[in-house]
Parts: sequence; structure tokens; C-alpha cells
Amino acid sequence: MIAAARPAWGRQLRALLLKDLRLELRTRDTAVAMVLFAVLAMLIFQFAFGNRGDDLTPYAGGILWATLSLTAVLGVGRSWVPEREQGVLDGILSAPVPRLVLMASKTGAIYAYLLAVEIVAVPLVAIFFVRGSVAGDLGLIALTCLLANLGIAILGSLYACLALFARARELLLPVLFLPSLLPVVIAAAGAVNAVAGGTNDLSEYRGYSLFLAVYAVIFGLVAYATYDHVFDD
Amino acid sequence: MTEARPGRRLAVTGAATAALTALAVYGVFFVAPEDADQGIIQKIFYFHVAIAVGSLLAFAVACIYGIRYLRSRDERHDEVSSTAVGIGVGFAVLVVITGSIWAKASWGTWWVWTDPRLVTFLVVLLLYAAYFVLRSSAEGERRMRYSAIYSIAAFASVPLSFYSVRVARSFVHPVVFTSSGANMPNTMLIWFAVSQLAVIGAFLTIMQVELLQRRADKALRRVKLRLETSS
Amino acid sequence: MSTGAQYVVAAYGVVLFGLLMYVVVLGLRTARLAREAELLARLAEREGDGDRSPEPAAMP
Repeated sequence: MIAAARPAWGRQLRALLLKDLRLELRTRDTAVAMVLFAVLAMLIFQFAFGNRGDDLTPYAGGILWATLSLTAVLGVGRSWVPEREQGVLDGILSAPVPRLVLMASKTGAIYAYLLAVEIVAVPLVAIFFVRGSVAGDLGLIALTCLLANLGIAILGSLYACLALFARARELLLPVLFLPSLLPVVIAAAGAVNAVAGGTNDLSEYRGYSLFLAVYAVIFGLVAYATYDHVFDD
Repeated sequence: MTEARPGRRLAVTGAATAALTALAVYGVFFVAPEDADQGIIQKIFYFHVAIAVGSLLAFAVACIYGIRYLRSRDERHDEVSSTAVGIGVGFAVLVVITGSIWAKASWGTWWVWTDPRLVTFLVVLLLYAAYFVLRSSAEGERRMRYSAIYSIAAFASVPLSFYSVRVARSFVHPVVFTSSGANMPNTMLIWFAVSQLAVIGAFLTIMQVELLQRRADKALRRVKLRLETSS
Repeated sequence: MSTGAQYVVAAYGVVLFGLLMYVVVLGLRTARLAREAELLARLAEREGDGDRSPEPAAMP
């Protein structure tokens, strides 16, 4: 009796995720470029708004999340590149990997990219834009990042698949992605501003964080309901 | 959809809509009392709100037919879904324009970022403009499938957008506000209802007209194909 | 008319304008459909006439 051992979905997920991450660690293309882009975006904001000598502390949270959402567009656009560049796109789509696992691995990859950027971006925003110390608030800011990243990653992995075969991929993805992302920007920026923007309003922070959680849940449901239809049959 | 007399159904819907619209306009301007706070400007709301609700209704129909398409892969469901999005966008444009006029009338500026409904409909316009960009980026079966998926995701974004703006605003202005008054006297409420019915009727009428046009277009195409291949 | 009333008229006017523009779009589409239908009718009539004449000559 030959029983074909099929790897459990958890192991498949880990394998796919590690493949993407290992590829990234070896070349470091995407992460480095994303970090550079984030810093440049911050400079743009500074030069666009800060050259009157104003104190941008109340806007630090906004600048952080404006930067992160634009950087996220890059990261999401890159999430299928490993398969595309190596010409294995058709192969992996016909492989006996459950599509849910495939989607989840992309979500995980985007999440990891965002974390990598945030590790650099958050301290930079604190240094560049916040007068006064944020050391005490870093934990809360980190929590906001963790929550918001979830919604962004779920949204991004779904829309990345929709843009996968499009001709003007680099244009289509931001146009699809950003309008749906706006609530995250509002809530995440609001949450960070609530703790680091001069005042320290925990009830406001909690309100925004709850919203971010609801956002992730709702889009998680949407992605779960539609993921199978995203792929050609 | 009954094949038999779509024309008859359209005529009935259209006539009912016309009658309701006339009734609404009469009621809004000659019967409904003037608002105590905002004066005559408040009358903009009767159709502004009705069209806003109509737009959301259109997007809900699009979402439902998107789901139905994914289940059945029937091209007609995609037709209804995309037509509904088109009407929804048209209505949303009207909402933003009338809302801007109301803002100018109330606050002296053509735009305010503090009204959740106005901001939400701007976001809605962007969301569903992307629907058409997505649609034109794919062809055939993929176009219909992707449109259906996006019609669902975009519809989920609408309440999220509305509430994110509302939540953000509630921290600045803790009082619960509705720009048209929470407790409306029945004399006003009834004309809101009539306006709403008129707009819903307009939606149904335009839907039928659009779908009929598409049917005619398709039929002509079939004839053309047949004639070209036989000659 | 008070300025408030002017704004109200403007708002309703915009809605009416939108509706009329839609009617114009409908008209343009109908015109195109009519043109195509006429073209096809002519094509079909030509086919019909062409079928009737040359065939008997081709039969042995």
C-alpha cells in the first residue's frame, strides 16, 4: 500500500514563504529599494511642507503612513516578480499547491517587506519630524504597524493577482490599490498621531486600532471568498 | 428577465419615475416646510441624499451580480454588474457636484473635508473609476471575472471609507451630527421618501434602457457576423 | 431670488442637466445602432437578390 505523503498546508505555506524571503535575502533588491524610496518620500514631504520652518510633529503620523502606503504599492507590485522573472509563473500556478496557500504566502511576503521598511522608517520619521521623544510610544506605534500591515498585505495580495496579467501593470496596481487603502491611511495615521503627535490620547488610539482590526477582518473575508476565482481555471 | 415585453416594463418604470419625480419636485418646493436652521439651502438635500442612496444601491446591485457571475459564469450577470457600476458612478458624480454646491452655500467654500458623505463619495468615484481601468486591462472571460471580484472588494471598501472618515471626525467633533437633522418632522420625511423612490425608479429605468441597448448591439453584431461569413 | 435659493436652483439644475446629457448619449447610441441596422439590412437584401439570379445557370 503506497500512501503518497502530501505535505500539510502549513508546511507548504512555510516553504513558499521561505522561498520568497530567501530569494529576497540573497539579492536584497526589493527591500533596499523600498527603504530608499521611503526615505526619499519623507524628503519630498519635508520639502513640500516643512520649508517654512513649521513644526511638523502633529503631521508625523500622517507623513509616516503616506510614505508607507506609497512604498507598499512598490512592494505589492514586486510580490509576483520572483515567479515572473524566473519564468515559473505557469509552473507554480499549475502545481498542486492549494491556491489559498499560494495567496497566503504572497500576503506573508508583503507583510514581511512592510515590516522591513517600517523598522527603518519609523525611527527616521521620529528623528526627522517629531520634536520631543517618542521612545515611550514606540510600542504603540509598532502595534499600529503590525495591525495596519495585515490589512495592507491582504488587500495587496488580492489586487496583485488582478494586475498580474495586465499590460500596464505598474499603472493599474496603484489605481486599484490606493483607493481601497485610504481607510488604512486615515486610521493608521490617526493612531500614530494620537500617541506621538504632541498629545497622548489613548482612547483615540484604541478607536483607530479597532478600525484597523475590522478592516483586516473584512478584507480577509473578501479575499477568502474570492481567492479561488482570481486564478484561471 | 422575461423575454416577452421588456418594452412594456420599461414604459411602466419610466412613467412611474416621471410621475414620482414631478411629485417630488412639487412636494419639495411647495409643500415641505423650510428648515429652521439652514433655510432654503436644506432643500438641496432631498435629491442629494436620494441620489447618494441610489448610487450605493447601484453598487450593491453590482456587487450582488458580481457574486452571481462568479457562481454561474453567466455573461448576462456581468452585463448587469458593469451597467450598474456605470450608473452608480454617474450618480456619484451628481452627489459630489450637488454636495459641493451645498458646501458653498453653507460654508462659503466649494469643498469641505469634514463632511463624511462628501469625502466618501469622492473616494467612491476613485474606487469605481479603477473598476473601469481594470475592465479595460483584461479581455474576455478574465475581464468578467476580475470585474466581478473587484465589484465585491470595492463595495466592501465603501462602508470602510465612510466610517474611517466618520471615526476620524468624531475625535475632533465629539458631538453626533447629521447634516440634515436627526429628527425630521414627518412633513419633511415624506418628501425624502418620495424623492428616494423617484431616484430608485430612475435607476431601474436607466438600467433597463442600458441593458436593452446592449442587447440590441449584440444582436446586430450576431447578424453582421452571420452575413459576413455567408457572403 | 435670495442667494440660498440660487444655490438650490443650481443644484437641481445640475441634476437636470446630467439627465439631459444622458438623453443625448442615448440618442447618439441609437443613431449608431440605426446606421448599423440599415447597413446590415442592405447587406442582407443584396445577399437575397444574389441568391436568386446566378444559381439556375450553374446547374447542369
